[in-house]
Amino acid sequence: MVSPASMPSALTFELIARCSTTKARAALLELPRGPVQLPLFMPVATQASLKGLTPQQLEETGCRLCLNNTYHLGLKPGQEVLEKVGGAHKLQGWNHNILTDSGGFQMVSLLKLANITEEGVRFLSPHDGTPMLLTPEHSIALQNAIGSDIIMQLDDVLVTTSPDTKRMREAMERSVRWLDRCIAAHANPTRQNLFCIIQGGLDLEMRKQCCEEMVARDTPGIAIGGLSGGEAKADYCRVVNTCTSLLPELKPRYVMGIGYPEDLVVSVALGADMFDCVWPTRTARFGNAITKYGMLNLRHASYANDFGPVEEGCGCICCRTGEGSLGVTRAFVHHVAAKETVGAHLLTIHNVWYQLALMRSVRQAIMEDRFPTFLKQFFFDKHGGDKSKYPDWAVEALLTVGVDLMED
Amino acid sequence: MASEKGSKLLFEVLGNVDTSNAGPRLGRIAIPGRKDFETPNFFAITSRGVTPHMTPDVVAAHTQFGGVHMALEDFIEKARKGTPPILTCPGPSILHRFTALPRSLVTLLAPRRSPAVTAPVGNSNTAVSIFTSTGFQSVSSKAYVSYMKTLRPDIAISLADVPYGSLPGTKRVAKMGDRTQLWLSELVNEMPEEQAVFAPILPIDFLDQSEYINYVADELADTVSGLAFYDSNVLPDIPATTTIVKLPRLSLDEPSSPAHILRQISLGMDIFTIPFIGFATDAGIALTFRFPRPLPSAETQTTNGTTLLPLGIDMWPSSHAHSLTPLSPSCTCYTCTSHHKAYIQHLLSAKEMLGWTLIQIHNHHIISTFFSSVRESIKNGAFERDCEEFARAYESELPEKSGQGPRVRGYHFKSEGPGEEKKNRAAWGNLGGEKQVGGELVPDEGADELEGKGFAEKIEA
Repeated sequence: MVSPASMPSALTFELIARCSTTKARAALLELPRGPVQLPLFMPVATQASLKGLTPQQLEETGCRLCLNNTYHLGLKPGQEVLEKVGGAHKLQGWNHNILTDSGGFQMVSLLKLANITEEGVRFLSPHDGTPMLLTPEHSIALQNAIGSDIIMQLDDVLVTTSPDTKRMREAMERSVRWLDRCIAAHANPTRQNLFCIIQGGLDLEMRKQCCEEMVARDTPGIAIGGLSGGEAKADYCRVVNTCTSLLPELKPRYVMGIGYPEDLVVSVALGADMFDCVWPTRTARFGNAITKYGMLNLRHASYANDFGPVEEGCGCICCRTGEGSLGVTRAFVHHVAAKETVGAHLLTIHNVWYQLALMRSVRQAIMEDRFPTFLKQFFFDKHGGDKSKYPDWAVEALLTVGVDLMED
Repeated sequence: MASEKGSKLLFEVLGNVDTSNAGPRLGRIAIPGRKDFETPNFFAITSRGVTPHMTPDVVAAHTQFGGVHMALEDFIEKARKGTPPILTCPGPSILHRFTALPRSLVTLLAPRRSPAVTAPVGNSNTAVSIFTSTGFQSVSSKAYVSYMKTLRPDIAISLADVPYGSLPGTKRVAKMGDRTQLWLSELVNEMPEEQAVFAPILPIDFLDQSEYINYVADELADTVSGLAFYDSNVLPDIPATTTIVKLPRLSLDEPSSPAHILRQISLGMDIFTIPFIGFATDAGIALTFRFPRPLPSAETQTTNGTTLLPLGIDMWPSSHAHSLTPLSPSCTCYTCTSHHKAYIQHLLSAKEMLGWTLIQIHNHHIISTFFSSVRESIKNGAFERDCEEFARAYESELPEKSGQGPRVRGYHFKSEGPGEEKKNRAAWGNLGGEKQVGGELVPDEGADELEGKGFAEKIEA
């Protein structure tokens, strides 16, 4: 494998603070449409819209970097419209940063008869059965048309739990070759940041090789991919921990598809910076509110007469008190949940705020070098102080970075 | 804005009060604790206490309407098994508090939604049938009074014996006025003096309810704060006593087009509830009409070979996919100042909820602007002439809907029994048989179009 010359970058990464115990870092990532503070959670606006929120409402949650899905935008409105409109920012009236995935994941997981060859993802058109091909070049051209601030390489994704080591190695090595094709095809390296995606399943040796190969390509940022696919949490943590140890300190590290609060704080402790997940917004549509004491299903009858805020002390527009507060109560959300979409919109605002605020407080704790204490309080709140309920995987993972949740 | 305490609703007819009763008029409504607003104007219709698609912060930031219409039947589905939660909500201004409604907006509480779903059983001498999210129930006049005493809306519409669905027979007509009169007297006797109560005017001929209306005019003209018309055609027959003429008039007549609104305004109607705003939004139709004439910048479109302008644009067709212009030229609403047609067409086509939110914001703005222009026109003494101009410029009805609306909920319609067509198209379907695939993820296009879009390329098998 040949590594091309150092590629241009459209970001700057400034390391602000490091936790003296764990591998957690606080950083400032300057992107083409403004700075974002790491660690960071990115909500997912799949089809150029965050589930009923106006871009203004999304902005009010503090979000400055959200996701769009390339696969969805490729189908609707399509590359031609995107080019005419002038990209996804202009399409959705969002002047802050956007990250797009490569579209390969949806293709493989959702389309029937998709299979992967060296050329790209082959699939049969669902309408007429015509064989078709989606290549790394297609994915990059589409992401160039979208104009997202961070774009992802097309990778050969396998479920990490696949027992086929040979196929796993092939996928890892192919992902490296496809990265080279993506770099070559990328038309706007000075305006859009291409991130590579580390593959290799749960095989730490394979992950190491992939890190080595991909780090050599010197992309502006690095993603750890193929996770969040049903693997054991302990395995997940080992992969993240292994990769972050091999990655350059001065580049952002993005773990794809992670969003449960516990997973976020542990992954930060293991040295990861960026995360995305549809869970907070999806679960909002089922009437679920994320709080620091766990999730509340506000459709449950017990909330019908609960006139308290969704979460006491939360700063979102629904929960906060004083000037500009809406005074949304649990009883009101219960009244409209699953009956009027406004119920979903309100919980989406709350849940996105929760995720972003969680990462802000994580960052603050890292900067004040009290992240281990933060972690202990986080798990204490989440499990009502009952240490027997703490998940083993989290306890073990945090022990590897010097935090013992069980000690008092 | 007046203080929360103090006297009830104040309505002032601006200009000379014409005792002949008919004709368009200007007015101002002031309610303690709420923002004053000028009439003719409209109240937004809510569903379960929310203006559909718009969260309370969006209502506060991006709409101009002065009040909302709420339906009691949207809040009391748990009444059969216990106390409806809204009754346990701490006050004051329970409706505002329960629904997170901005405090500046006026609340109007009526028994039924607008439009209401026809109940399978009729009303009785003591109760009316209502349709909650869990099914049909009846609410007695006694219960209604008790709800109003707790909820204390800014404006309470008294219970009316309105037969939804079929036309009432002679026997029923005879009862309607008597029942409505009894229920009104029960309400006003029980409510504190500062509560604003509107007396319902029934959707039957004046002569068939003259006894009731005369009772209102003779006995209650100083007690009630307004009249609520289920049929605006009765308005010209209302006795033109000095007190009655000074009462604000609310239309629950469900106008189907701006022309109908104008006609009712010409009869002297003051406040409207307008279901067609929501119908248009759900159909993906952006209203574009201006009163009395389109803005000079408006594109001169012609449809059906006539020179009449459409009242709105169907935003579903892909012809909007490239359009970077706002829904309506020169519109100053949030949607038109922040987004273009291409985005809204994309959102509808992708079934993203934001599409309906943006159209809803715009449509409410168009109606607010419409009423503001109407008031200006009345002020200038040009209303009749302007109405004629409006009729010459625009089509009389809204465009047909072509696209699919948002998901319909159980309490929005009445089931017609077995074999009924599904109200919502399945989001999931079988593709090729064995495996279910997410609807939004399966391309609508064939291979040629996918290739044309640059999504992927065709290859040899």
